[in-house]
Amino acid sequence: MKLNFTEANNFKVVEINGRIDTITAPDFENGVMKLMSEGVTNLIFDCSKLDYVSSSGLRVFLMAQKKVSANKGQLKVCCLQPSIKEIFDISGFSQIFTIEENIESASAN
Amino acid sequence: METSGETKKVLLVNQLKELKTINQYLEELSGKWDLSLPFTMKLNLVLEEAFTNIVNYGFPDDKTHEVTLIFEKQNDSLFISLIDDGVPYDPTHASDPDINLSAEEREIGGLGIHLIRKMMDKVTYQRVGETNVLKMEKTITSS
Repeated sequence: MKLNFTEANNFKVVEINGRIDTITAPDFENGVMKLMSEGVTNLIFDCSKLDYVSSSGLRVFLMAQKKVSANKGQLKVCCLQPSIKEIFDISGFSQIFTIEENIESASAN
Repeated sequence: METSGETKKVLLVNQLKELKTINQYLEELSGKWDLSLPFTMKLNLVLEEAFTNIVNYGFPDDKTHEVTLIFEKQNDSLFISLIDDGVPYDPTHASDPDINLSAEEREIGGLGIHLIRKMMDKVTYQRVGETNVLKMEKTITSS
């Protein structure tokens, strides 16, 4: 699992590459926590290259959403592959996250 | 790994590094049994959730324990069994998380078992002697 960071409008874009499972979830969490400790409040998780996510990874998504909300920021999730979207649907996460088709719509004001 | 017809038996130990082993066997089987990528991914997810629970919660001692994983293909159905000698734990009786809560209200836990129940067609549990036997069944589909 590798994270790449870019910017779009006033959002920090976190491109997630690979798998988030029990083993790699701590790296994902550390990456996200580091961004938040640097004062980032508007985040886009670009999931175009996210191949797999288990409950360990979903926990980090939820933690990020809670923290962003507490800081009155915005968190968007974009570019979900169909199999990952299905996991979001099953877990109810599709209802609690703002899910966009692409980075353009996610970063639009 | 023993193979017998359409049954594959894998002996694991109660360590998270075995998740890699499980993935490797799943890849082999998906080729052998012509399972689609989305279907294999679901099995991968379900096995990760179930096995991680066993490793994290099944053994209060620090000892190495064996966990047996059995794959069975019968016609169009796939059966996966996980057998361990850990503390009695029936995941079929754990309550589902409330998936209608907002992010602020959602609890972090409970997702793994929920995903297992939703992704598999049937999940059964039995306590057999000193062992937990978790059996999961899914009709083989293209997704």
